[in-house]
Amino acid sequence: MLIKMNESVILAKHINFSYGKTPILTDLSLSITTGKIYGIIGPSGSGKTTLIKAILGLIKLNSGELSVFGQKIISRELIHIGYMPQLTALYEDLTVFQNIDFFARMYGTKNRTEIIHILLKQVKLLDYKNQVIGKLSGGQRQRVSLAIALVHNPPLILLDEPTVGLDPKLRFELWQYFEELSRQGTTLLISSHTMDDANHCQKIGFLYDGSIVIEGSPKELCESIGNKKMTLEEVFLHIISNS
Amino acid sequence: MDLQRIVALIRRIVLQIVQDRRSIALIVVAPLIIMSLVGFSFIDKTNILNTIAPALIATFVLFLTFMLTAVSFLRERQLGTLERLTTTPVRTFEILIGYLVSFCFFSIIQSLIVVFFTIFALGIDYQGAIWQMLVIVLIETIVSVNLGIFISTFAKNEFQVVQFIPLILAPQIFLSGVILPVSELPIYFQVIAKILPLRYAVDCFQGIMLKGNSLNEISNDLIILCGFGVVFLCLAALTIRRLK
Repeated sequence: MLIKMNESVILAKHINFSYGKTPILTDLSLSITTGKIYGIIGPSGSGKTTLIKAILGLIKLNSGELSVFGQKIISRELIHIGYMPQLTALYEDLTVFQNIDFFARMYGTKNRTEIIHILLKQVKLLDYKNQVIGKLSGGQRQRVSLAIALVHNPPLILLDEPTVGLDPKLRFELWQYFEELSRQGTTLLISSHTMDDANHCQKIGFLYDGSIVIEGSPKELCESIGNKKMTLEEVFLHIISNS
Repeated sequence: MDLQRIVALIRRIVLQIVQDRRSIALIVVAPLIIMSLVGFSFIDKTNILNTIAPALIATFVLFLTFMLTAVSFLRERQLGTLERLTTTPVRTFEILIGYLVSFCFFSIIQSLIVVFFTIFALGIDYQGAIWQMLVIVLIETIVSVNLGIFISTFAKNEFQVVQFIPLILAPQIFLSGVILPVSELPIYFQVIAKILPLRYAVDCFQGIMLKGNSLNEISNDLIILCGFGVVFLCLAALTIRRLK
């Protein structure tokens, strides 16, 4: 699949979604271009996971247009998306290798063993490849889950709260890895509720009550309110208190 | 349809069950214990034992396949692996085929163990061919797996799956000719028995194993059992699509 630089990988126009009568996404629009790390930052319940599920085609929108790689999401496009859910979503009674290998087979990945070994090295789990998932710590499971999202080398990766449960050193290494992926042309959409994660993103959309209330690079956002420079946290609090 | 994906699904499901010793015990040891209890209780009453043994094989297939599928599928939902699976290029019917083939494999092993146990340990003299019995096992497994997938959507945890035993399984055991022939039940229970898949499975097993009937001679019961399979297959497919 040919993807041009600066082309919209994900394009959402005025999308709306509600569970019953409760609105979750309200008139949300966004555009994410190739090779960018885009952070969807917002508090719990703001609609981050729902937005990711909408992009994956797991939920049916009430209205609006949403396209991925210029097309409405359909099953065969999923081959181009890597997804790391909020729940680690692993088979507890299988080993690390068996879990990654299973999903690699689902994507039809060639040279599976070689690729899995490279990934395990990158997420620092090579010594645990024959360990059953049920015996791993939360952080180790997160890394297995990440390896699954990367196993088919997708051009777009959706990561739902990927740094939860990771220690600072591991989080730092993970962000270095994300930046490396971005340099190679992979587009990353990362949801988080921490400003630490937000600072690593190239572009941020603050999500509040199902809408993106402000968008821009961390630098732009920090300079967006008045004349004084604010932290991202202060910007977010300022915006939601005025909305 | 991608054969490699289906094989991977089968491999994973079989691996998960094989690595869980309790599931293996449920598949192999539990039927042998029940069969031994029944067998040695009726050791002098050959007629009763001959009638009950095929009915119990049908019951084991329904009960164990239903329970294992319902719990496996519920776990897939709870852990989020089903959702993750549906974000891969896998198709609904590939997931269904994966589950069906895996559980058919275990049902056949289980049925063969029970049949050989009843022949060699309990001395039951079957009339029909074993391969014909295995055809019924396969069809009944299709019914049970799809029923398990469908019913698992109504359960939020494993405890709630167990609650379906008195609702879905127990009435079938009482009304399907396992304990008393259906013809000896009150007329209103006979009417209810007509909508129970186990009744037709029991009739098929007894027809082949006791009377030595061919598949052709039990075709009416077989067609109805297949009908249940098709209905539950559609419900299971809708269930997975709804969860996507």
